Amino acid sequence: MTHKRVLSLTLNGKNRQDLVPDNMLLVEYLREVTGNTGTKQGCDGGECGACTVLIDGEPHLSCITLAATVEGRKIETIESLAVNGRMSALQRAFHEKLGTQCGYCTPGMIMASEALLRTEKKPSKDTIRTALGGNICRCTGYVKIIEAVETAAEEVAS
Amino acid sequence: MTEVLPEFRVVRPATAQEAAAAHRDNEGARYLAGGTDLIPNVRRGIGDPDLLIDLGGIADLKKIEVGANGARIGAGVTLAHLAKNAQIAAAYPAVITAAKSIAGPGHRAAGTVGGNVCLDTRCVFYNQSQWWRESNNFCLKYKGDTCHVAPKSTYCHAAYSGDLAPVLLVMGAQVEVTGPEGSRTIALPDLYGEDGQNYLALKRGEFVTAVLLPKDVLPTVYEKMRVRGAIDFPLAGVAVALRRDGDKIGDLKVAVTGTNSRPFIVEGIEELVGGPLSDEVLDKIGDLVQKQVSPMRTTLVAPFGRRRIAAALARRQASALFAG
Amino acid sequence: MNVVARGHAAGTRQPLVDGVEKVTGRAKYSADLPFADAYAGAVYRSPYAHAEILELDVSAARALEGVIAVVTGDDVNHTYGILPIAMNEYCMAKGKVRYRGEPVAAVAAVDLRTAKKALSLIKMKVRELPQYQTAEAAQAPDAVLLHDDKPGNIEREVKHSFGDVAAGFADADLVREGTYHCGEVTHLHMEPHACLAEFDDERQELILKTCSQVPYYVHLMLERCMEMDSSKIRVIKPFVGGGFGARTETLNFEIIACLLARAAKGKVALHLNREETFLTHRGRQETIVNIKIGLTKEGKITAVDQMVKQLGGAYAGYGIVTILYSGSLLHGIYDIQASNYHGQRIYVNRPPCGAMRGHGGVNMRHAFESLLDEMAEELGLDPFAVRRANLLTAPTQTLNGLLVTSYGLDQCLDRVEEGSKWKERWGKLPKGKGLGMACSHYVSGAAKPVHWTGEPHATVNVKMDFDGGVTILTGAADIGQGSSTVVALAVAEVCKLDLGRIRVIANDSAVTPKDNGSYSSRVTYMVGNAAIDAGRALNDVLVAAAAAKLDAKPEDIEVENETYRVAGSQDPGLTFKEVCAQALVDTGCITVKGTFTVPTEFQGGKHRGAAVGSTMGFSYGAVVCEVDVDEDTGLVSVDKVWVAHDCGFAINPLSVEGQVEGAIWMGMGQALSEVTTFNAKNGLPMHANLLDYRVPTIVESPPIETYIVEANDPNGPFGAKEASEGALPAFMAAFTAAIYNATGLRINTLPVTPDKLVEALSKKQHRDKVEAAKRSNA
Repeated sequence: MTHKRVLSLTLNGKNRQDLVPDNMLLVEYLREVTGNTGTKQGCDGGECGACTVLIDGEPHLSCITLAATVEGRKIETIESLAVNGRMSALQRAFHEKLGTQCGYCTPGMIMASEALLRTEKKPSKDTIRTALGGNICRCTGYVKIIEAVETAAEEVAS
Repeated sequence: MTEVLPEFRVVRPATAQEAAAAHRDNEGARYLAGGTDLIPNVRRGIGDPDLLIDLGGIADLKKIEVGANGARIGAGVTLAHLAKNAQIAAAYPAVITAAKSIAGPGHRAAGTVGGNVCLDTRCVFYNQSQWWRESNNFCLKYKGDTCHVAPKSTYCHAAYSGDLAPVLLVMGAQVEVTGPEGSRTIALPDLYGEDGQNYLALKRGEFVTAVLLPKDVLPTVYEKMRVRGAIDFPLAGVAVALRRDGDKIGDLKVAVTGTNSRPFIVEGIEELVGGPLSDEVLDKIGDLVQKQVSPMRTTLVAPFGRRRIAAALARRQASALFAG
Repeated sequence: MNVVARGHAAGTRQPLVDGVEKVTGRAKYSADLPFADAYAGAVYRSPYAHAEILELDVSAARALEGVIAVVTGDDVNHTYGILPIAMNEYCMAKGKVRYRGEPVAAVAAVDLRTAKKALSLIKMKVRELPQYQTAEAAQAPDAVLLHDDKPGNIEREVKHSFGDVAAGFADADLVREGTYHCGEVTHLHMEPHACLAEFDDERQELILKTCSQVPYYVHLMLERCMEMDSSKIRVIKPFVGGGFGARTETLNFEIIACLLARAAKGKVALHLNREETFLTHRGRQETIVNIKIGLTKEGKITAVDQMVKQLGGAYAGYGIVTILYSGSLLHGIYDIQASNYHGQRIYVNRPPCGAMRGHGGVNMRHAFESLLDEMAEELGLDPFAVRRANLLTAPTQTLNGLLVTSYGLDQCLDRVEEGSKWKERWGKLPKGKGLGMACSHYVSGAAKPVHWTGEPHATVNVKMDFDGGVTILTGAADIGQGSSTVVALAVAEVCKLDLGRIRVIANDSAVTPKDNGSYSSRVTYMVGNAAIDAGRALNDVLVAAAAAKLDAKPEDIEVENETYRVAGSQDPGLTFKEVCAQALVDTGCITVKGTFTVPTEFQGGKHRGAAVGSTMGFSYGAVVCEVDVDEDTGLVSVDKVWVAHDCGFAINPLSVEGQVEGAIWMGMGQALSEVTTFNAKNGLPMHANLLDYRVPTIVESPPIETYIVEANDPNGPFGAKEASEGALPAFMAAFTAAIYNATGLRINTLPVTPDKLVEALSKKQHRDKVEAAKRSNA
């Protein structure tokens, strides 16, 4: 029988306690236990970045992270970004600049960008490229993703 | 909802000794650091651990100390934190270059120094799903009896592809290990063996707790070749350490990753010390690298190219370092 | 022509109408649909590349506690596929397996753990057969046939000849031949395949929610394979995470999930992992092109002779269409008066190939443009000049019966030539850097649908009710390309409505009108025209209501900012809400319809296969690519791309740019790093993950300068044509030409991976040395 534990953590600003099997991936916990399906799975483990979430503010791949190892930590997913029901600057920029097409990589892409903009206020194109290097997008060719991140950075700065 | 992980338990010891004890008491235990290599493998049915010992709770593993005698980098330091460390950047910039070049930001935020140093060897016949490997009768590295890249071989040819190791090798690093029988320090070259299956000279239950760097190291650079600018493992990675004395080579070391089952210091390079860095000497460096690397068909990039590329990287880095 | 001035809606830069859901994480893709109450599905896949099934024993799996249903090929009586004449594939193998990973059986269980355990209990006894991974092996005289009715393992052989080819070559000043090899690639839509099937045993009704580009075709195949009345089937498309052609046909897992749901008398969630998504494939086949071109010394094409071999995988799929496209798309871009085409679609033991962005027109175009580049050099002509020597003048009909009614390639050439400063820079860059260019084109919708029913090519309904909301009902599958946004813009434009008033409901067969789906870039053109038609019908209703209320004639009503007034009057006019309320008097909820039908003269010539390639509007693209080659590592970095794409009127320029950039970049992946190979000895897929299938990351992806060229099409919606496929093929030839410009090496095998380039460079260095030695001896 699978060993389970009570997992306590902060998810999107709320404290939670859930009974979670030790062998459950963080992405499964987020999607299947907490119902936050914004976080996606695009590959068979650590190869595409679609599952990127923030753990204590750093971008992590939830598909190769065990839920049992994030006890007590602060998890943020795409669902946390909107403020009072309105899109964050990054979300708005991805929407308005067409940084999203099919949208499947978008939550991961935005969370990786969010981690970047928390540490770099005015990132260069190369810095953006480095920060999003682990996130594969198949639709955009990345051109408008870079533009979206730059736009959001400018908006946040002003 | 596409895979089922084995039914393991996770424990999170607070000290290295507790971790070693947990390992000793459980036949099917594995240490879990960042998990960026282990978990993808476990998801693919490689390894069937019944206990994962999460090293993330051991505070001592997360320290970086730079002092009069050199540096001690805890094995649990993440690659992202290492890359941001100003003291390491000042004293050992090539370590930062290597750390920053690994995979992608998500991997670096979780992946650790110890995990990268001990990175499992890789092969296209190994890093595959259970269905894939089973339908190919598995392989010598895991569950099978044939090495598919060298069917007559008695040992596994999977390639080591950690990025930190070549830099640490030319810097003369040591590693601290802890196990059920206590702790010891080993010179980094002695950590590795040329067998893709048993590539680490660790006793059962031992794990790396820290990397030790001497105070003074040669000016060092690291460059690797991979097809994509992120995510990919190196197909060949070369660290060169060179001190120039006037118009002569004062000291020179070259280490390579990505081409063999272990990262290694290229032999014979020391004979070039004391001479100039002429085109002939550069050719010699290239030749030595090209002769000692032995890339196999462990990746889908042909060995011929990887061999030449490793040599070319060594040449151009030596040349750049010499030029200053 | 439905041309409008830019300003109100059409022609403005608009974010996607469903973009908010995507950036907030609220968009539900198939795997996001709640499945806690569903059984878990899992597929048993062949571990053999080619084998006769002697025995399939699923009894132990069936007996396992928690297993609800097990289905095999015995549970289905009908093949599925595309063309009625070429449906030779069952959703689970019967009698024989033909590629590694082919579905053989499937399980529904209480949870995934149980389902996977059940798979491990399935026993299959086989007699292994020789497996083939090359054209030579599959076509060897003694080769075992994959399909008994296909001698030589040839799925389809096409021979088309137009004009006097021998005379054309005789008239040429230069005749050259080349062989080009393009590796197999796959779509790699970011969303792995997933679906949710629900069978109501009480009512014998089926609901399938799936990630399809063609829900209507899925519906048809379910009717066939499930042997159900189609009225008992409902197909719903949730958000879809890309397609690029992978989902333009019914896929085996969709039928399997439905069979499982019926057998389980309940709901089954079938989520494929990335490896299984690779194995489902339907990507662009490995292709060998032999091409011969004749040119006059001015660069005018006198004749073309092209032989194409496509390794199509183990089943027919779209194969016949692909091999026909490769021939027909020789035409429609340049003035060619003599052409031979010989195509062979060959069966090999790999997952079936299918339609992928630029379907059938990519690899052959790469070959054509590459040889043209080489010959231009030999003639001392600029690569732009040789293209300009062969331009068409619209309207015209090509040698193979295709109608070209608009043509902006000349403008495309001008734009990228200027943008890249070609004249100043080509051939003058520092060592290791190079520039290359090429052109391509594509159809705006296949003029003849796969299933000919006599219905219009597209139908759109628009509903307006008491709330004043305007709801567009369409079966066109938005898979991220922005098709829902295009129909919204079309209706907003025609009715002069606020875009925010319009909502789009797409793809629920119980609600939305049938649509053939998102393939061959048909949606903007055909569904866009149908949306305009529906918008006009709605506008007529609104204007008539306003006229009645204002006691005026409908033709005197003018509409601006949702205000309806008599033209020239100073009245405040009526609000939309007032007009809507008036329109509903006596009738209640209003639903209007718009349709679009492609006239028969556009549906191709008279020869066999002529329909493929026929379209109402060709898009055109020209590309300049700048590369930097690291001769030590063989790494080629693409520094910059300039692309001009003639999409006719750009209904949503923002989306057009996004599509063009995506297309160019996908071409870059195929040129630079992407390939799916199979172990020659045993057919194992060697690239079925995202580490070995190297989709470019953002780090090595270049800036792309996009120019929209608008050679309006007389029949396109507002003059629009397609925007997402036409420029892709040009990238590849521009890229290899740029490598040549940088290194002096012509690499005719794609992708140009570093190992290949290093090997070629070392051979060249050796050659150069030998020649230098010869010269010094002389």
